[in-house]
Amino acid sequence: MLPEWMTKTEDYAPPKDGGAFYRKTLKSLGGIMKRLKVEGGKEGRFSLPAWLKIILLLGLIILVSVVQDRLIIMACGALVLVRLAMMPAGDIWGVLKTTIFAGVFCAVLVTPAVIMDPARLSNSLRLVLKVMICVTAVGEFNRTTQWNHVTGALRKFHVPGVIIFIMDITFRYIVLLGKLMEELLTAVELRSVGRNDKKYASVGGIMGVTFLRGSEMNKEMYEAMQCRGFTDDYEGL
Amino acid sequence: MHIPENYLSPATCAVMTAAMVPVWVHSVKKVKEELPKDKIAMVGVGAAFSFLGMMFNVPLVGGTTGHAVGGTLIALLFGPEAACLGVSIALLLQALIFGDGGILSFGANCFNMAFILPFVGYGVYKLIAGKAAQEGKSGRLYVAAAIGSYVGICLAALACSIEFGIQPMIAHDAAGNALYCPYGLSIAIPAMMIPHMAVAGVIEAVFTVAIYAFVRKTSPDMTYDSIRLANPKVESKKSRTPVFALVAVLIAATPLGLLATGTAWGEWGADEIAEIAETGSPLGYTPKGMLEGFSLDVLMPDYTLGEMNEVVAYILSAIIGTALLVIIFKLLSMALRGKSAKNAA
Repeated sequence: MLPEWMTKTEDYAPPKDGGAFYRKTLKSLGGIMKRLKVEGGKEGRFSLPAWLKIILLLGLIILVSVVQDRLIIMACGALVLVRLAMMPAGDIWGVLKTTIFAGVFCAVLVTPAVIMDPARLSNSLRLVLKVMICVTAVGEFNRTTQWNHVTGALRKFHVPGVIIFIMDITFRYIVLLGKLMEELLTAVELRSVGRNDKKYASVGGIMGVTFLRGSEMNKEMYEAMQCRGFTDDYEGL
Repeated sequence: MHIPENYLSPATCAVMTAAMVPVWVHSVKKVKEELPKDKIAMVGVGAAFSFLGMMFNVPLVGGTTGHAVGGTLIALLFGPEAACLGVSIALLLQALIFGDGGILSFGANCFNMAFILPFVGYGVYKLIAGKAAQEGKSGRLYVAAAIGSYVGICLAALACSIEFGIQPMIAHDAAGNALYCPYGLSIAIPAMMIPHMAVAGVIEAVFTVAIYAFVRKTSPDMTYDSIRLANPKVESKKSRTPVFALVAVLIAATPLGLLATGTAWGEWGADEIAEIAETGSPLGYTPKGMLEGFSLDVLMPDYTLGEMNEVVAYILSAIIGTALLVIIFKLLSMALRGKSAKNAA
């Protein structure tokens, strides 16, 4: 004989929860993790040295932002597009996505100004164009340059060793701590069925644990560095 | 609050970067002095933490979410100078890898989010918290953290909106149309401040307090306050932060002087005196002593070096003026110190 409660059909529906912040955070985290993992940057065999690329990129951005002459802006646009055309299709889409987003965002931003005063149209269009050229140029740069070459180039520009060391560490910690955050978020999401009234506690918990784990990892790394003969000399690293 | 490329004129970008240089130099020095060698890499952790914090969506009313910048939080955990470096590096990575925020406007972004936000946030926190950390009054600390982070992000947004707002005035073509951001101060300030005061400030405060409370409860010796308490020699050192902050703000604020259409009150040139209507009617004459007196115009005519672009010249005068002031004060303090040393002997 079955007990009575087993014969009843289960119709428990957990109360709906408005917040979707776990999912949203997981999604944005997943996005950057994917970018960073691929972000080795695929350098071709005949790629220019990174320091030269940085100088060229900076030069282009300064030129585009200073110059108001349409012809020169068009020439810069052409240059950026030709470079883009030489990249593989997957990378082109990746670069273009950011460009389109930046362009649309800028266009929306200047629309009220154009409506208020139609004489501003040509200047506003030029602003949108300039934004798109710069964003595309940066996108091309980071998709064709390896991160370790970027830090190498910074050393060539005499950026202090401590700063470069910190930048490298940051890059690695973003991946490590990002992974930790992904796991924590998934764990919390799986455990919160229905309405979760303690969302703010979990914000503190997830980021707090990430911070504590980060400090722990940092201590371990320093000890490992010392075991390998590190003498507190960051400049010589 | 990330300002993209081309929204600010190159001159503004140059000023903001120039303003950040003393702050960065001070921060590197302070971090090297204050943090033990094994904690240097902690700045990297701070940068990564700041980067990830900006990815973290905080739940809001009605199922919506928003993200925090977390500048004050990082200052509470690592100290304001380490926070400044950490957030700067996070911003640099965002600009270089994700196209989030421009490369030329990097200085301006750092000024708002890596300088104003953590320093103001931490300053307000300290002001309200007082000695609550030693006395173990957690409630007051959390209130201080909430207000500090709220004020910090609102002031950062204000700085950002002023940078936007001055663009139509300092950069326009012959027809008066803006070359960069087209909105003046009267639009830029409310457009930035209302959402920040109503939404982003609240998110920032919730984010800061939630994490700060967690860290204080689970591992109270990890916060910057406890590192300072454990290291009394750090505490006793005189802080020069206010001086550096003042220098940076002064440099950044100079282009504001360009906005005033008239000459500053009391700074009229001899030719302007005649036109001044102090008592309702123009003066109508130039005081004689002014006409014949010694003129400094030869050195720097009206703060402008020849035919150079007015804005650039103004900025250069600001930098030269600030440098001169610092030199004078340093020499003065050296002379005074020498005197007091003699007196002591």
